[in-house]
Amino acid sequence: MSRRSLLKVGFGFTAAAACTAILPGLAGCSSSDKIAVAGFRFLNAGDVALFSALIPVVVSDVAVLDAAQRTQRIHTVLGNIDAACSDLVVHQQGELRKLMDLLAIGLLRRLLTGVGNWSDASRQDIEAFLVRWRSSRFATLTAGVNALMKLTSVGYYVLPDAWPAVGYPGPLKYVYDAANS
Amino acid sequence: MAFPNIYTTGIASGWKVIDASSLKAPLTLDAEVAIVGTGAGGGVAAEILSRAGLSVVMIEEGPLKTSDSFKDMDEARAYRDLYQEGAGRATSDGAISILQGRCVGGSTTVNWTSSFRTPGQTLAHWASQHEVAGHSEKEMAPWFAKMEERLGIAPWAMAPNENNSILQRGCKALGWESHVIPRNVKGCLDAGYCGHGCPANAKQSMLVTTIPSALEHGATLLHRLRVRQVQHAANKVEGLVCDALGPDGRTPTGATVSVKARHYVIAGGAINSPALLLRSQVPDPYKLLGKRTFIHPVNLSVATMPKRVDAFYGTPQSVASDQFQWKDGVTGPIGYKLEVPPLAVGITAGISNLFGLELKKSMAQLPNYNAVLALLRDGFVPQSEGGQVRLGSDGSPILDYEVSPYVWDGIRRAFLSMAELQFAAGAASVRPAHLDSANYTTWNEARAAILALPLEKFRATLFTAHLMGGCGMSENPRSGVVNSQGRHHQLANLSVMDASTFPTSLGVNPQLTIYGLVAQNVSALAGELGAKLQ
Repeated sequence: MSRRSLLKVGFGFTAAAACTAILPGLAGCSSSDKIAVAGFRFLNAGDVALFSALIPVVVSDVAVLDAAQRTQRIHTVLGNIDAACSDLVVHQQGELRKLMDLLAIGLLRRLLTGVGNWSDASRQDIEAFLVRWRSSRFATLTAGVNALMKLTSVGYYVLPDAWPAVGYPGPLKYVYDAANS
Repeated sequence: MAFPNIYTTGIASGWKVIDASSLKAPLTLDAEVAIVGTGAGGGVAAEILSRAGLSVVMIEEGPLKTSDSFKDMDEARAYRDLYQEGAGRATSDGAISILQGRCVGGSTTVNWTSSFRTPGQTLAHWASQHEVAGHSEKEMAPWFAKMEERLGIAPWAMAPNENNSILQRGCKALGWESHVIPRNVKGCLDAGYCGHGCPANAKQSMLVTTIPSALEHGATLLHRLRVRQVQHAANKVEGLVCDALGPDGRTPTGATVSVKARHYVIAGGAINSPALLLRSQVPDPYKLLGKRTFIHPVNLSVATMPKRVDAFYGTPQSVASDQFQWKDGVTGPIGYKLEVPPLAVGITAGISNLFGLELKKSMAQLPNYNAVLALLRDGFVPQSEGGQVRLGSDGSPILDYEVSPYVWDGIRRAFLSMAELQFAAGAASVRPAHLDSANYTTWNEARAAILALPLEKFRATLFTAHLMGGCGMSENPRSGVVNSQGRHHQLANLSVMDASTFPTSLGVNPQLTIYGLVAQNVSALAGELGAKLQ
């Protein structure tokens, strides 16, 4: 299947999901991959690998943290992403699931993103994927990358740790003090 | 001193408030009127009916969260606790983000307090094009006056924050119309956290006004309770079947609640009200349910100003412009209202659509950002028929909304107006919220770039906070789900009392329209139910 013919199969993730239904055997997906990781309600092991790779590329402030802090910050953002996905209605969760399953299957991921494996992908590889999907003439891919970037960037910037770098001093002090006295 | 929690004292004094997540066994309730939803429509209905001496049960899917829960003034907590789908609600294809409340008080708990009367042009259009009766500008005026007094609605008297001042200055420099926004506040501290739940009980939302008043008059409030089904037979509603939701606010616990009443008021808001009626398979002989759902599509323009704006602080909306609202008449090319959004950190990241160093550089400019938004007035011409609500596999609502060429034309004109205005107010650069845009440093450069932007879903950032229609009103049963009084055309003891009854969008933020319309319609209903209005 050429990249062209794969992309032409559809508008929306339905067609891609049809591929994922056919391809798990090829990709070696085991059923355990489909279960949410302990402590999460929506994200499975494949999603965690995807977002763990995306977070420091989308949010460069995370990339410059030392290893221990970085791991912890990524875990916190993953928790926010998981909560955001868990709150969606079934239809939207289904759309996200199709997207993430697509990105978890080796052959399709390689064809669509150029990334071999999320856990050892380079920053350049992931940036190239984001740029390619953003500029794609296929609305489905643009929709997909928008969803990934929004989940990641909002999941990070709502954290108080993110605020000093953006000049938000935190809740307006005189009101906060009055409300919490 | 901390702000008093009116619910703590109210419940201690005997208010009947039931958190359905705590129910261990099935429950059956009887009332004269059951109200589904506690937002602008349900809140006003509950107060008027219970003050008229009728026994009222209020049912809310979201949680009861009060000022104590809002004192952290935290954006992430607000999205999680107070918004539909954790603020992640969107159209079915994900192209348009939807901000809608889901808590006691509904969207009034989280809105930005702008309170406009329905424009006369809109009411006249409803009468002439949608066979709506009894809601002319003149007939509505006393109801608006009554609700303005009830909720302390008055033009904002303090100076606008810098974000709003920029809109005002830009309009003045260009000779454009602008006006001060009336707000529903008492003792407002000008903090800017309306969207996170008011920590000071200053916003006169349903949470702190009509619902406490209904409880004071003996009404019962059940929260974390989702109405699964409106049961009906022989053209009458017979009851409501409801599922208690667990402490997470999402997962049914298995406990069910059955509610029986003489009359039923549906006030879940657009999207949820038509979805409830669809999944209950209420008679819909002309296939109108869920259709003509309007959203005031919103696009945005972000300016970098030479000085700090701090758009995360101060009254979120105090100035608006109708320069482009009626310019081409009611049914010409789409009109739009210009306002500003507050810029909380998370929402700013969400609309920036950037990554890596670009995102970092952009977010570092946050204190100097001004944002302007355009609310597009959809639904006034045949080529703007709105979206359609349908049901997911589990009965949850899905909104399909196609952006018509008519709307895209308005989005491009609004991008131009907003950029022109921001430069006129002294912007150093302007970036339309669009994947293919950049920071333009002159109006000429911005204009040329905007004229060339590809206007497509997922490339332009679009959102909505105003959901309307889907159970449209009309005296003609072939064109409306309910009549002008909100009474269902097929089921005798059913009313819809929320923004889902609007036949089109409005051209203004919707809360005061809902308050006035529901006050008028529910007062008529109280009389029909034999109650004496106080």
